[in-house]
Amino acid sequence: MKILKISHNHNKVINSTLKTLKLGGLVVFPSDTVYGLLVDATNEAISVFVSDFEMMKDIVLVGTIHELSLRSLLPGPFTVVLNSKHRTDRLLESEKGTLGVRIPMYRHIKVLVKRFGKPVTATSANLSNNPPHYSVKTLLSKLSGSKKKLIDLIVDAGKLPRNKPSTVIDLTQSEVKILRKGSFNFLRKEKFISKSPEETKKIAKDILKNVGTGRDLSVIKPLIFIIEGELGVGKTIFVKGLGETLGIKNIISPTFVIYYEYGIGKSKVKSQKSKFIHLDLYNIEEREEFKDLGIERLLKPGNILCFEWGEKAREIIELLKSKGKIVYVKMRYLSEKKREVIIKN
Amino acid sequence: MKILAIDTSCDETAAAVVDGRRVLSNVIYSQVLIHKKWGGVVPSLAKRAHEERIDFVVDEALRHSGKRTKFAHPESLLDSGQARMTTIQAIAITQGPGLAVALEVGIKKAKELAKKYNKRLIAVNHLEGHIYSAFVQNSQGNPKINFKFPYLALIISGGHTEFVKFNDHLKYNVIGSTLDDAAGEALDKVAKLLGLGYPGGPVIERLARDVHNKDFYIFPRPMLKSNDLNFSFSGLKTSFYYFVTRRHSGKAEGRVQNLHNDSGVAFAESDSATLPRMTDDLRRLCSSFQEAVFDTIIKKTEKAMRQTGINRLVIGGGVIANLRLRQLFRKLVDRHRGEVLFPTYKYLTGDNAAMIGAAASYKAEKELFVKDIDELDRIPRLNL
Repeated sequence: MKILKISHNHNKVINSTLKTLKLGGLVVFPSDTVYGLLVDATNEAISVFVSDFEMMKDIVLVGTIHELSLRSLLPGPFTVVLNSKHRTDRLLESEKGTLGVRIPMYRHIKVLVKRFGKPVTATSANLSNNPPHYSVKTLLSKLSGSKKKLIDLIVDAGKLPRNKPSTVIDLTQSEVKILRKGSFNFLRKEKFISKSPEETKKIAKDILKNVGTGRDLSVIKPLIFIIEGELGVGKTIFVKGLGETLGIKNIISPTFVIYYEYGIGKSKVKSQKSKFIHLDLYNIEEREEFKDLGIERLLKPGNILCFEWGEKAREIIELLKSKGKIVYVKMRYLSEKKREVIIKN
Repeated sequence: MKILAIDTSCDETAAAVVDGRRVLSNVIYSQVLIHKKWGGVVPSLAKRAHEERIDFVVDEALRHSGKRTKFAHPESLLDSGQARMTTIQAIAITQGPGLAVALEVGIKKAKELAKKYNKRLIAVNHLEGHIYSAFVQNSQGNPKINFKFPYLALIISGGHTEFVKFNDHLKYNVIGSTLDDAAGEALDKVAKLLGLGYPGGPVIERLARDVHNKDFYIFPRPMLKSNDLNFSFSGLKTSFYYFVTRRHSGKAEGRVQNLHNDSGVAFAESDSATLPRMTDDLRRLCSSFQEAVFDTIIKKTEKAMRQTGINRLVIGGGVIANLRLRQLFRKLVDRHRGEVLFPTYKYLTGDNAAMIGAAASYKAEKELFVKDIDELDRIPRLNL
């Protein structure tokens, strides 16, 4: 078993990995999610890494409709299950002849797969029912001597950010199915009815749990809620629900001062402390006025931003999109006591 | 002890020089004209305006601090304010709560002056300033109100609605506050909804007075059944919004959705037939809404008086500029044989630095100075 540090010489590491794979070897390799096990996928695998859509279409059937939606997801932390063209090892496929495919958002794997010219496996390097590995050190500590011998090469990229394993989506059925929830969850579009402020808070709590908080999703990107709705429809109540999930109990309307910041998490180091930022754009009229709000400064991983009167956020929506993960919340009066809450991801 | 006080917590750039609770000079540069155009406080404009005005405002406060009259001798224009820094013993600064980018401007200035002239800093909570505003004196030391602790203090402004037990100097217990909108904010929002402009409170007060502050529509009084001393005005806002849109559209649902255009002024650009004309109708709406807000405040205050056994009230904040609310408070304390103190001068109802200086003077007495000037930072959601 050889260990190479990827920080030193990318080319050399890629070359050694290619050599090992060609010889049918087993490689532990970092990725955009967790450490994974690589072998030549035309030999054996469970799900596979491909470098791009072209390679993807070589091994699975990608319909036009699928391709459209896939292009918005990939590359990224998703394993997409599609009908196999049986060009990879049959053992990889499910009984139904489907195959899981990933296009990772990780340069080294992309380069590697591109140069290998064919897919490699994309299994996480942990034993079943054990948590995935984010460092080579913990990975080795969990392996017995005999298992270590099976590994030909380990590529060490140090500690990986604690991103969750990929989200597995099955596109072979008429209805899209999520087989495993990773850091991104597909709410797509969900509709809720609230009959009281408490119910609105509950909806907010569930949403936050669903899209992920703290360690997983917002570690990569700030999480942004854009909340639209009429005066008095319950936008502040929704934000209070989000805040309460994170232990913030003193949220009030920020309309008067435009935004309030709250600390989340336990870090005592101020600069590392994540923030929950509650903004109300009610009084904002022009693009000019966003400038000195310092929104860029707030768009840091770990932070959660909630925009009330989110309609007005359209002025800066491109900025938010490029830096963060947006969840749209539309609230509507059904009657004086009843609200419809639509969540879009 | 002479203290230079600075407050930039929201949209007023304010500086004052106090000696104890006596105000020697007080300067407020109001941004209300800027914000009138936009219908509310705008952070970028507020920050820029603070930055542009702070030197001037501080200088003016210092320059006038030696005079007994407002009318300075023309030659005194040569007398720069900064020369008077030698007579100042400490600098007081509002640390929060407030708008982060605005607070920053004042804090930066205070630090700069403290370092340059080797003065000590006193960090003041904007809310304690509002509480002390009822005890602020003019340069002659009037009015002479003695402290008779404990008080039940209530801060009612555009940004705050809080009940505080004011046990002794600098000793506070927050016993209730708004869970969502501040009272002043609710009034401002409704005024904006009716196309009455900003700030909405004074317009609503005037229109309500025209119909003798009568309550025509009896909107709900939120949170009165709850046993605590918290407020919530969002439900009332909802009722009002729903009532008005339904009444003026015939059918509620369809209208509700497209009523609000992006400017937030619901009626200004909508069909004139649906507009509550500047008639008695509008006056009745304003009066009824104002009564709902004020009645809630009064009933909650009565509850707070019963729970705490305190019948001496101190009321601070912009909404108490409203004469109808003052009248209601006076009636309340009459019923309870208590007393009520309002800000001693009208300029003290809104944001100002004189009240910050007055609160700071009691901190100075107790040697409560900022230990490490560099460490001082704004706290936008600072609690009492």
